[in-house]
Amino acid sequence: MKKLIEVRNLNIAYGSAAGWTNVVQGVSFEIARGEAFGLVGESGCGKSTVAYRLLGYGTINSLVQTGEVIFDGIDLLKLDATALTRLRGSRIALVPQNPTTSLSPGMRVGTQIREMIATHRALPPGMAMETRIVELFALVGLPDVGHRYPHELSGGQQQRVTIAMAVACNPDLLVLDEPTTGLDVTTQRQIIQLLADLRARIGMAMLYVTHDLALLAQIADRVGVMYAGQLVEVAPCETLLAAPAHPYSRGLIASIPTMDGAAQPGQGLRGVLRRDQMSTGCKFEPRCDFAAAACRTTPQALEPVTGARTVACMRWREAVAPHVPVLVKREDKKTAEVPKRVLSVADLALSYTRPSLFDRLLGRSSPAVVRDIDLDLRAGEVVALVGESGSGKSTIARAISGRLPPRAGIISLDGAALAPALKDRSVEELRQIQYIFQNPDASLNPRRRIRAILARPVDHFGIEVDDKALETVLDNVGLHAGYLDRFPEQLSGGERQRIAIARALLVNPKLLICDEILSALDVSVQARIVELLRSLKEKHAVAMLFISHDLAVVQEFADRVAVLYRGELMQLADTATLLSEPLHPYTEMLLEAAPSLRKDHYVSRPPAVPNSKAAQGVGCPLAGRCPRQIGSLCAETRPPLQTTGNGFVRCHLGVEALPVHSTPTDARDPSVQKVSSQRSL
Amino acid sequence: MSIFRLLASRILFSALTLLLVSILIFLILEALPGDVATRILGREATAKALEVLRSQLHLDQPALVRYFQWLGDFLRGDLGTSIATGRPIADVLGPRIVNTLLLSLFAFALYIVLALVPAIIQAVNRGKTIDNVISVITLLLLSLPDFLLATMLLFLFAVAVPILPALATISENSTWQEMLRAMVLPAVTLAIMMAVYAIRVLRDSLIEVLRSDYVRLAELKGLRPRAVLFRHALPNAIVPALNVTALNLGFLIGGVVIVERVFSYPGFGTLLIDALQLRDIPLIKATVMISAAVYVAANLVADVLAVLLQPRLRTSR
Repeated sequence: MKKLIEVRNLNIAYGSAAGWTNVVQGVSFEIARGEAFGLVGESGCGKSTVAYRLLGYGTINSLVQTGEVIFDGIDLLKLDATALTRLRGSRIALVPQNPTTSLSPGMRVGTQIREMIATHRALPPGMAMETRIVELFALVGLPDVGHRYPHELSGGQQQRVTIAMAVACNPDLLVLDEPTTGLDVTTQRQIIQLLADLRARIGMAMLYVTHDLALLAQIADRVGVMYAGQLVEVAPCETLLAAPAHPYSRGLIASIPTMDGAAQPGQGLRGVLRRDQMSTGCKFEPRCDFAAAACRTTPQALEPVTGARTVACMRWREAVAPHVPVLVKREDKKTAEVPKRVLSVADLALSYTRPSLFDRLLGRSSPAVVRDIDLDLRAGEVVALVGESGSGKSTIARAISGRLPPRAGIISLDGAALAPALKDRSVEELRQIQYIFQNPDASLNPRRRIRAILARPVDHFGIEVDDKALETVLDNVGLHAGYLDRFPEQLSGGERQRIAIARALLVNPKLLICDEILSALDVSVQARIVELLRSLKEKHAVAMLFISHDLAVVQEFADRVAVLYRGELMQLADTATLLSEPLHPYTEMLLEAAPSLRKDHYVSRPPAVPNSKAAQGVGCPLAGRCPRQIGSLCAETRPPLQTTGNGFVRCHLGVEALPVHSTPTDARDPSVQKVSSQRSL
Repeated sequence: MSIFRLLASRILFSALTLLLVSILIFLILEALPGDVATRILGREATAKALEVLRSQLHLDQPALVRYFQWLGDFLRGDLGTSIATGRPIADVLGPRIVNTLLLSLFAFALYIVLALVPAIIQAVNRGKTIDNVISVITLLLLSLPDFLLATMLLFLFAVAVPILPALATISENSTWQEMLRAMVLPAVTLAIMMAVYAIRVLRDSLIEVLRSDYVRLAELKGLRPRAVLFRHALPNAIVPALNVTALNLGFLIGGVVIVERVFSYPGFGTLLIDALQLRDIPLIKATVMISAAVYVAANLVADVLAVLLQPRLRTSR
């Protein structure tokens, strides 16, 4: 195939007060016309820095030391500003990471697309601008939303708008910077589906930057794995996923939780990328299980291995050689006696605003955002609360922690009802419920040392703690005493989250609320935090309410899963049986949307009865979106609660009519068999 | 909340504010020592004459009645009669307001340029020498009191390099060239005094907006730098500066008093000082009410503009 763009020996450094740091070193790759190339790696590996250079763009403090980016025979890095301006958008276009912040907030989305077409004079001859814009919206599956402002669209719709904008001038190359990271699983899959579709129709090439290999499996032809600014492996997507050659690729793939729950070959990654601890040889050496003495001093470059594959590892043969799969046997030690109930939530209903005096006089009530929540947690049990953004997961957690007094219902701890408001709860009750937030950057005071951060809650609850105890708790979360005198900014994201967990553990709580604590972390770090939580649960018998939007992570370690949709529990089931039990149609949608590590030809199923949304508080919240909806019944009548083996399903469909999860591993796809046999080498 | 509901509630609040101002002004002037009638007729006036004048001025009636009478008259457009000159206040105020309005408009136009241009230069060249130089200059000007700046400009351009008139006296017969020349120095003084505040706010918010994702996307869409700056960055960066501008208009009213005095410009400000010196109470009431109304209206306009520039504010409940 003909080369469209070629990156040759790219070296980029970032300047700071401390001097220059090399962030990209000797990166070379090419993308053929119409090819989709994926660039994958953990945060800070330099993948976005490389991607933006393909648009001739770099931040002010970055400097290209050597290298060329040849597009159509021209070096983009030597191009002047005017020529770049002509090229950007018309021949190379960007789909940004966060559509919410990337669309101009004060401009109608139609105008933003019009501006793109007008600037590059890219209106097809004989076509009116309005017609073209509507056509573009249709292309990305949107109605004519041109007159809307960005904030009037959902995240998924916003991303569709940026995609419509990116393809407006029929570019040759689309650079996608983590385009689905902030989106829900189902939306994420629809966007991927749309991109694959567009590629088939328009035939443009893509550079897809992501940290999520499973997504890449759905769309990329070839993948480049980056580590610490270097490409360590470039291979066709399927080959890479089936049999990664570089030890880092292996670790990365092993860290990904998958829905089919198949035991991963090899182990997840250990340690973190530390740019200050880099050896002169292979950058991955400090974390590599296959490293030999020579690795430390010998720099590695990409060498062709077999076929279209190149690897930067001198010991790749050893790494790829048969390797005893470490089967993580998750035996369910069903103890005879049922543990004590720690938390129980009954008939919980929540709303954000209290009805104003005016509304009360008129007898109006604002609709509840969360209703009819019944949930129990036993000692040492992990219950996952799963749902899309806006489903009310965090709202429920806020109510349990006392930050949002419920409108109705009872929350009790150890059988005793808790006061609805935080200020009315006793210090002892506060101690027993601890909360870990999504973003450790924001939940640790940047001006205090770790010692002070850990000591604060301990002082507050009047617990006697010496340095020894602090060290023990750090040890429990896999850190050492050396961290006590550091500041949060000196820690990586995963380490900070560990500190947040340590802080919560230190006061010996009965219930730990984990609010999306993994979503800001890299997969390898995620895997290790999950491991940590699992061991804590076994050691301390602490109950956890684990909030997540990611079913794959959840089924790795939760005992039970509660599926939430628009403030209502749709299903509650044992994790072990979640895959085989009768499923709620919504759970089915979530399971289908979770990407597996191979191309699974996902097609989102259309709703059975579209445009039949139930009014809030009446009928099933899924009505209008459900592929299995039964006529207008669902929108008009509240579905009954049906008990299943170890939980319940709220649906009009009878238990026998409900779907059972079919693992994507079915006989239809012959490649699957091959893939799995290779993977369990 | 729809924009109309927002507008209605803001107008209601504005009216309420002005009502409070009117009460406050009335109470303060009421509390002033001395007798208006004695002041007009002089100390030698007979008790009889004072009595007659008091009843003419309704001073014999209770304060509450006089307040509502004044308020009613004011709302109907009858501003009363100036005690010092004996002429209707509307006649005295009219030309002065026109003069001040001309000066303010001139100053405001200059202000927009003087605030935007340096702020844009600074934001685009942040961290470079020009950014620092402008920062130092604005800081210097910020720390100067307005009368000092006025006097300095007066000395520079009317005495040291006499290219502009020192006294900004204009009359009805002045040509527009004469008026413009007379207004340059007072307008420049006012504009600088206001701009230095706005420059700092605008620079910082523009830098923040230039770092935003949507500006980067606009750049990577291949828009020309000018289009990125004026269509995507500036409209969003201007919002914080709007509040400063509204506060600045309040300053303009106060600044006008001092600057007009320094340059002897026959405007609203000099009239206010004269009224205070002569204790011309009806005139004081009228001038204060009018300046309060201008201030409240300016804030109203700034709020509405902020909503128009940020569509998000329109739909948030």
